[in-house]
Amino acid sequence: MLETLLPILIFAALALAVVGAVRRIRLWRQGRPSRVDLLKGLAAMPRRYLVDLHHVVGRDKVMSNTHVATAGGFVAAAILMILVHGLGLANPFLGGLLLAASAVMFAGSLFVARRRLNPPARLSKGPWMRLPKSLMAFSLGVFLITLPTLGILPTDAGHWLLALVLAAVVAWGLGEMVVGMTWGGPMKHAFAGALHLAFHRRPERFSTKAGGEGRSTGLKALNLDDPEAPLGVDTPSDFTWNQLLGFDACVQCGRCEAVCPAFAAGQPLNPKKLIQDMVVGMAGGSDAAYAGSPYPGKPVGEHAGDPHGPIVAREGTALVDAETLWSCTTCRACVEECPMMIEHVDAIVDMRRFLTLEHGNTPNKGAEVLDNLIATDNPGGFDPGSRLHWAADLNLPLMADVKQADVLLWLGDGAFDMRNQRTLRALVKVLRAAGVDFAVLGNEERDSGDVARRLGDEATFQSLARRNIATLAKYHFLRIVTCDPHSFHVLGNEYPELGGHYPVSHHSTYIAELHAAGRLTFASWKGGKVTYHDPCYLGRYNGEYEAPRNVLKALGIDVAEMGRSGFRSRCCGGGGGAPITDIPGKQRIPDMRMNDVRETGAELVAVGCPQCTAMLEGVVDTPAEVRDIAELAADALVLESDPGGGKRRNQPAFEEVTS
Amino acid sequence: MQPDSRPFEVAVLLSVGRHPLTGRARRADHDARGLELALGLSRNLDRLQVRVLHAGHHDADNDAALRGYLGMGLEALTLVEQPAGADVIPALADVLAMAPPQLVVTGSRAECGEGSGLVPYALAERLGWPLVNGVVEVESIDKGVATLLQALPRGQRRRLTVRLPAILSVDAAAPAARQSAFGPAQRGALDSLQEVAIIDEELTEWTFSPARRRPKRLKIIKATSARERFKAAAAKAEGGGGQVLSNVTPEQGAEAVYKLLEEEGVLR
Repeated sequence: MLETLLPILIFAALALAVVGAVRRIRLWRQGRPSRVDLLKGLAAMPRRYLVDLHHVVGRDKVMSNTHVATAGGFVAAAILMILVHGLGLANPFLGGLLLAASAVMFAGSLFVARRRLNPPARLSKGPWMRLPKSLMAFSLGVFLITLPTLGILPTDAGHWLLALVLAAVVAWGLGEMVVGMTWGGPMKHAFAGALHLAFHRRPERFSTKAGGEGRSTGLKALNLDDPEAPLGVDTPSDFTWNQLLGFDACVQCGRCEAVCPAFAAGQPLNPKKLIQDMVVGMAGGSDAAYAGSPYPGKPVGEHAGDPHGPIVAREGTALVDAETLWSCTTCRACVEECPMMIEHVDAIVDMRRFLTLEHGNTPNKGAEVLDNLIATDNPGGFDPGSRLHWAADLNLPLMADVKQADVLLWLGDGAFDMRNQRTLRALVKVLRAAGVDFAVLGNEERDSGDVARRLGDEATFQSLARRNIATLAKYHFLRIVTCDPHSFHVLGNEYPELGGHYPVSHHSTYIAELHAAGRLTFASWKGGKVTYHDPCYLGRYNGEYEAPRNVLKALGIDVAEMGRSGFRSRCCGGGGGAPITDIPGKQRIPDMRMNDVRETGAELVAVGCPQCTAMLEGVVDTPAEVRDIAELAADALVLESDPGGGKRRNQPAFEEVTS
Repeated sequence: MQPDSRPFEVAVLLSVGRHPLTGRARRADHDARGLELALGLSRNLDRLQVRVLHAGHHDADNDAALRGYLGMGLEALTLVEQPAGADVIPALADVLAMAPPQLVVTGSRAECGEGSGLVPYALAERLGWPLVNGVVEVESIDKGVATLLQALPRGQRRRLTVRLPAILSVDAAAPAARQSAFGPAQRGALDSLQEVAIIDEELTEWTFSPARRRPKRLKIIKATSARERFKAAAAKAEGGGGQVLSNVTPEQGAEAVYKLLEEEGVLR
């Protein structure tokens, strides 16, 4: 009886899955067009899955092995099952392989079940709780039905009732694992995830065979010249189709939730819920079925949306509340942790763009900051002619006078902040000690546009960027050095799309190079324990984790690392305009970061970002001093009376990096 | 009560502002607050029609600044074409008289040019409408009478009723203008309206120089104890020397003003 029933079950499940796939694809195609090389993407997909995705999954060894066993076992078992039971190729070799595959899958599903016994808060419950049972049903069912095929058990073993029960178990397994893959349910992640990897909107973020880890962190520009082009995302269907596909790939593992600083601070944001809300919006309906942690302070079930309805209502509620979007610090911790390579920050900024450019509703100080940027080219509304006042006694060479220099020192808006002026003065001292030929733009410099862009004001960003690019085009320099990772990121990663291509270095990178080249000598560190806080825009955005540590090492400092450092560094709370929009939570993000510092027992925390300095120094009852790397380097300088110092000054410090 | 089928029409006069630090053209602060006040009337009126007017000319800076107002959620702005150096009051008065609104809202003073703050007064005189300055809120509009809140120094408010049509001018005490959004600003229309230009001949002979902050009268505190100093710092300005004149002839009024100016040392 099973011999007739199985092929029917298998092919019915496959047929249903195809129907579901067509429906799912139609949901994604509601999105806006996006140019993707489909064939190239599909060809690159196995590598993206096996290398890039598993690089992320592999951070949790147990889960990684569990997934390899379960998913690998399933894929092999499913293919072999179609051959053996569907097409009746009951040869012992294939059958043996099928037994092995389903056994491996069963072993994996035991580990899945173990994790579901006492699941951490970040995991979604609901349908996900039945997944281990479904996995077991499939693997065990397939294992048992294969035994008679191979003659290990007699074909007529047991009662016909037993055969019927077995068929039901297999049907359950097929329903979850094959039909559920395209009709929704936990296994949807496999279908959507595979295609998402193939058609990812940032193909350059994946590694290639040539080597080098792919990195793609710059936001994509809006077309402002075309009056028909929408300004950001209003409805779920305003996302590009491959963004919608990406949302659908979410496995609700909650790794993003576990690292999100806003969620930890009790602000109304949970990256996982946000992605699930987009999935709800794409299909239409309410978020009542969501079975994970809600946005802090916002009960599930009160929001609903549809593909062509607004995501954020002008009044009342829709799919998501505006304050959820404005809680994000754009620290990219979620993107870094996401095993499905979903781009949360892109989506958030897309929706913010609509709120700012169409609704004109940037919360709290947002509107004022944007007005200042438009009128004075800096967010504080300071007189742009006073950008160099802090350096009145330093006699800094101006690009307007010298026209060319080895290094263009980009000051950033920290030039108006008295705290950051100390860092800048220290950096100038270090550069002068190394005899670097540098110059500044002075009053010609404008805000890089970082804050405007993250607040969704793409128009002001592009205006600032284009004017900065025009200014930079007047002068010759080998590279830009800045002590502001936000300027670093924008100049290096976001100006190229607008026509500005520059080699940019963070000051820690440059100081490390100068030290390595023997141009700086430091006295060894005599203070207490030191820890280092990785700025998001230096680390996760630009992959620079080593240079600051090298500088600290050169200073004779043995860094006491925090629990969350490197690519897992916790945000200071200062990015993405979060201090400007200032969405209330239960605690402050910088306080949590200072607690991390406290746990190391460090007396001093080294930083490399004006925002981080401001946020961490704003913590009351602080356990540690906050010092920029430039300040530490400047304090430790050993100024040798080098007679060749004047001569060295005229040599280019480094070969030109780009032509 | 039968609802009035005609929409309540408000005209807002807008000028091109100038940023105090950089001198860049922008939404003028007071005018933007005026527009905010007008748009806010939709809270107590069912049918509101806001018409915005600017008397001036097209150029890149001006248009960008005017689009700043459109970004507050307007579909169109009427540009009453006037060359530089024209006296805009006759043109504005003509346009307003052609299709009289029930309410005209202006800022209290332009941010560049003459900046005399006389536009609302001159218009009120020409149109023969009452003028209320320093308005912070329109509380209600009922049967052709508006109830207003007027700002007085030190946060005091005075409730006034005024018969419509009327001119209201707002200053920095009025609620801040909403954010200007790029999308509506780009889509909004700048409709040109040709008006006869009357060149202000006197203005051509003027020399312009940046305005200086008005000197503040020093407050001399003769306190000897901390308590007295605190009281002096926290005290309300005493308007003790003031005098209310009512039902006097223009000559008597002018004489009283002249006398005060002499006392204060403004006229010698």
